Amino acid sequence: MITLHDINKTYPGIVPLHVLRDVNLHIDKGELVSIMGASGSGKSTLLNILGILDNYDSGEYWLDGVLIKNLSENRSAELRNKMIGFVFQSFNLINYKDALENVALPLFYQGVSRRKRRKLAMEQLDKLGLADRAHHLPGELSGGQKQRVALARALITNPSIILADEPTGALDSKTSREVMQIFRELNAEQNMTIIIVTHDPAVGEQTNRIIRILDGQIALR
Amino acid sequence: MIDLIREISQTMRSNKLRTVLTGIAVAWGIFMLIVLMGLSNGVVNTFNENTRSQGSNVLKVWGGITSHAWDGYKQGRTIELQSTDLEPIKHNNEHQVASVTAAIRSSAVTISTPHDYMTGSYEGIFPDEARQRALEVPWGRFINDRDMAEKRKVMVISEQVAVSLFKNPAAATGQSIKVGDLVFQVIGVYQSKWSRSVYIPYTTARILQGGGVNVNEINVELQNVKTQEDGTDAETKTRESLASLHDFRADDESAVNIWNRFNQQLSMQQGMNILTIAVWIIGLLTLLSGIIGVNNIMFVSVRERTHEIGIRRAIGAKPRNILTQIILESVSITTVFGYVGIAMGSLVTGILTKIAENVEFINNPTVDLSVALSVTIVLIIAGMAAGLFPALKAIKIKPVEALRDE
Repeated sequence: MITLHDINKTYPGIVPLHVLRDVNLHIDKGELVSIMGASGSGKSTLLNILGILDNYDSGEYWLDGVLIKNLSENRSAELRNKMIGFVFQSFNLINYKDALENVALPLFYQGVSRRKRRKLAMEQLDKLGLADRAHHLPGELSGGQKQRVALARALITNPSIILADEPTGALDSKTSREVMQIFRELNAEQNMTIIIVTHDPAVGEQTNRIIRILDGQIALR
Repeated sequence: MIDLIREISQTMRSNKLRTVLTGIAVAWGIFMLIVLMGLSNGVVNTFNENTRSQGSNVLKVWGGITSHAWDGYKQGRTIELQSTDLEPIKHNNEHQVASVTAAIRSSAVTISTPHDYMTGSYEGIFPDEARQRALEVPWGRFINDRDMAEKRKVMVISEQVAVSLFKNPAAATGQSIKVGDLVFQVIGVYQSKWSRSVYIPYTTARILQGGGVNVNEINVELQNVKTQEDGTDAETKTRESLASLHDFRADDESAVNIWNRFNQQLSMQQGMNILTIAVWIIGLLTLLSGIIGVNNIMFVSVRERTHEIGIRRAIGAKPRNILTQIILESVSITTVFGYVGIAMGSLVTGILTKIAENVEFINNPTVDLSVALSVTIVLIIAGMAAGLFPALKAIKIKPVEALRDE
């Protein structure tokens, strides 16, 4: 599903920062992996590249058979929309839109009709047990509910991968476990490829493979 | 499109106070534009009506006194216009002169009915005068060629005279009026903003004056004139014709007095155009401050929503989606509040219309549909201008912003 081949990334500056050095990585379809590393390890940069949020300098990144390299803003927006479901630490729901509208937003950018996207969003919320919260604003939801809404938004476009950035970082331990449980179920039941970036070992342990990154390189251990 | 409007109305509602405050600046600008425009329209309308009611393409000629010695005559000679001047004036400038008429004005006479009387004067005129002076004749008819040919004792009186003599203009036609010792029949009652004269046929007036050829006034109705130059040209030719008839120097401006209504009307028209332009400029400058307000607020809004825009970009919004959204938001603010301004402005001009009903120089100070249309176009362009730079800033926001914690 994901193949990284000799990826390099340097942030230019007075002292150029070589954050990723010849990163090679392969993730199969249906894997549930975590990427762990200390801050400054290049973990976030790797996440940006995997999420088509940032470019890299050299190497090749293949996502679901598509070479992700030197894309225009429009093309990368399109690929993000179709292939990647994002789940963020701080949920990143739009606070003046209710749960249903937040979930439906990715479909808005695909040009799906309002009626259809509301129907699909409702189905998605229902699957995650939030049907009764559909018309609540994010401010009226608990942390766990917000993260489930965010997950519903990530899933609505039926993406190739779910990319989660510290998905439990803002949640208490009980809610964290619930959210992780959902990830595991999604992976087991729908064969969804899920990549979780975290620094929490407890989260890492619940994934099937841990990829450690250290000083811009994949740790061999 | 409907989706986009829904999207925009949602973001606007999520920050009501700010949207409203910004909008008020725009509404105020438009309000000023509309009210100023209403007032200037009032002035222009008054002017147009006056022009219409006086007839605008006419040279009015009166006799004068020569200021140069010429052809053996001394200066200071009185020139009196004559009925024999009419034909040559037309003949010498067939292209520009549509018709030439003359008027004889009487000295004060008593105009009386069996019940009432008034003192006034009459004018002996040609049938064409109705057109030259833009007289409306709602009751009866104006003097015609047969009245002229048969030298009938008929008269056309103004509405005001009809009311003072007969109470009611409709009742006046067919009545008899004595002018001095002679009995005239009223054949029509006219309406005019300016003229109050009693009109009788020129030929009849000629007899009343005991024959002769002198006339008080010659009216030259022009045609095929467009510019000031045309007007001046026609005036010069008329003066030249009269100069050769009356033996004065062709450039002697005081020998005959010519009121060039055509040129006067043209230059006043220019003045009116300048007034309109000035009002637009003032209004647009006022609007400009509103637009700058919108521009500022959109910048603030974009900055405040950096994270949100980042999220939208991360989940698949293309730069142009963001661009259209910001610009349309700005256009929505300017148009929605612009229309509030138009509504308020129309209300105020409406009230002014009521107040100004009796004011001479402001006539119907309203704003018509074409102005509302051009204002709409102005508003849309203004909104786009106000939103453009913030929108360009917004599309520079990277989707990575979504990952940054607030």
